[in-house]
Amino acid sequence: MTEIPVALTVILSVGTAAAVALALLLARSARGAKRLRQRSAATEKDLQEALRHQAALAQRAQATEAEVRHLAGARVPDLTAALAHPNVPVRGLLDPAFRGTELDRALTTVLEQVSDAVTKERLRVDGAAQAAMRGATTTIQALLYQLQTRLQTMQERYDDPFIAEDLLAADFLNEQALRRIQSTAIVCGAWPGLTRQNSHLGDIVVGAMSRLSGYERVQVTNQLRDPVGVVARAVEPAAVVLTELLANALHYSHPELPVAVTIQQGNRGASLIIDDAGVGMHAEELERAQRLMAGQDNVLLTELGDPPRTGFATVGQLARQYGFTTSVEASPYGGVRAIVHIPGEPLLTLLDEEEQPMSPMAPVPRSTASAAAVPSAMPGHAATQRPPQPRSEPARNDTVHLDAGAGRTAERPYSEPAGDPQAQPQSAEEELPRRRRRRPGPYVDLGTSGEAAGPAGSAGAAPTAEPPQTPAASPEESAQRWAAFQRGTNSGRAAVDEATETGTLPRVTPTAPGSDTDHGNAVADDQHADFRSAEGNPQA
Amino acid sequence: MTPPPRDGRRLVPAYLATTGRARPSRNTLDRLTVLHGAADPSTVSGLRPEEIRLLELLRGGALSLAEAAAHLRLPVSVVKVLVADLVDAGRLMARAPIPDAELPERQILEKVLNGLRTLKSS
Repeated sequence: MTEIPVALTVILSVGTAAAVALALLLARSARGAKRLRQRSAATEKDLQEALRHQAALAQRAQATEAEVRHLAGARVPDLTAALAHPNVPVRGLLDPAFRGTELDRALTTVLEQVSDAVTKERLRVDGAAQAAMRGATTTIQALLYQLQTRLQTMQERYDDPFIAEDLLAADFLNEQALRRIQSTAIVCGAWPGLTRQNSHLGDIVVGAMSRLSGYERVQVTNQLRDPVGVVARAVEPAAVVLTELLANALHYSHPELPVAVTIQQGNRGASLIIDDAGVGMHAEELERAQRLMAGQDNVLLTELGDPPRTGFATVGQLARQYGFTTSVEASPYGGVRAIVHIPGEPLLTLLDEEEQPMSPMAPVPRSTASAAAVPSAMPGHAATQRPPQPRSEPARNDTVHLDAGAGRTAERPYSEPAGDPQAQPQSAEEELPRRRRRRPGPYVDLGTSGEAAGPAGSAGAAPTAEPPQTPAASPEESAQRWAAFQRGTNSGRAAVDEATETGTLPRVTPTAPGSDTDHGNAVADDQHADFRSAEGNPQA
Repeated sequence: MTPPPRDGRRLVPAYLATTGRARPSRNTLDRLTVLHGAADPSTVSGLRPEEIRLLELLRGGALSLAEAAAHLRLPVSVVKVLVADLVDAGRLMARAPIPDAELPERQILEKVLNGLRTLKSS
């Protein structure tokens, strides 16, 4: 019976061992299965991640492509349009998500390069166009000036009214053509093409308006107190600036409305104010005009429209080159008011009206208009001896003051005060009437300029304008001299006669003690010497 | 009388004086017409600057039209228009130039010469 339990034990133990082994195996396999499950889940997750990523990438690629397409289709065209018309906006990125990314930077670089290239090319083309224009305008301008000279000589030569009228008309047409050419040339970078001599401001204003059709509407008021002129190099530029501003005023106002120009003298220069009562300009136009007239950057022909409107650009160029200040604003008359200020320091000078009279068409200045009430020089009537005139005092002061200043101060800087007007009238009062030189210009008062320069001024005053200054002899002085001469010869003759006839002492020569002929001569000599001394020292 | 030296290019053209007119309202004027009796420009209003200057020039004496033109530095044809306007307005007088004394005709002179010769020879 023992075998059975042994056998059973064996079997049982074997079975137990097998069970244990199986349990172990089972446990291991369960762990493996779990691991597998976990791994597959992770893989699946990865896979999904990858899919999502891929979708995002695809979307991004699409967006980038759209962005590039947007660049080519919208932003670059916008840019080129904006370069031509600064008010066109350039669109930004299509997708704001790209802002600040590498893509954004790259696209911006593209835009910059396009802009650079286009700008450079435009400058080059514009430069070429300007050079071509300059070449043509210079030649045409020179020819028109020749034509002007020719027309002017013909005007002097032909008196026939019909021919003369045609010549005047041709001259006017020529002036208008000249103005066009000149302003185009200046916008294209040429100089005004002409140097004039120092000229009166009034002359410059009427000269400027004479270049425009409709000049009859311009009404000039001259408020200058002194004969203010512009120095040679700035005369033509000033005339061109005025012409362009006047052209605007005339063009943008009704053909029957006047355009008012006022010439004003300030402490530090002179101002020309142009008012029209025309259609005016709105804020944007005013702003553009101000920008062009500031003349800060080079103007491109392409910016000026087609056909180019060169007015403000011309003004700007000249203002920058010569130092005028210009501005436009709404006028109290309803239109536009343009102001040109010419600084006194480098650009203005006082002119000698006698040496360089104003043209007859220049507006009569206020001061001379009042002074003209006093009969002044009468050129051409040299034989007329002018009686001493009762003088209206204030007007007199004015002329004396101006003339005295002008004689000495042709080179005087404008800003210097023009001498003390109070010091002048006295010497002017003592002055005697004198003959006038034959000189045109009704306001010339030659006599005053010499005398009024003061006691010390008679030698130094206006050496160019005056004939050499000999010491002035008044009628009384001349009479004295001739009387002395006559007395001398008379007494000498009497002495000689008496001496030869009677041998006695000459009656009229108390100082002569001798009794012979020689002595009589000596007496005459003595008298003669007296006369000479009288002449040598007219003041005695 | 010499005209003032004309240096440089003119700044103010002549047509400005008459707004382009060169046909005077009266055709009796010529270069030698004597202008006189100018009104005082300061008492007359409404004159243009060139008219004021012309009257100013002629005050106190007479000038021929050509002389006035030279003083104003304007062409004679233009000054004629100015003068005609002023004369029309009664502000200036224009007088025809004094004609040269009339010379006897050539025939008469020859007759006299012949007469003298016959006197001498006889």
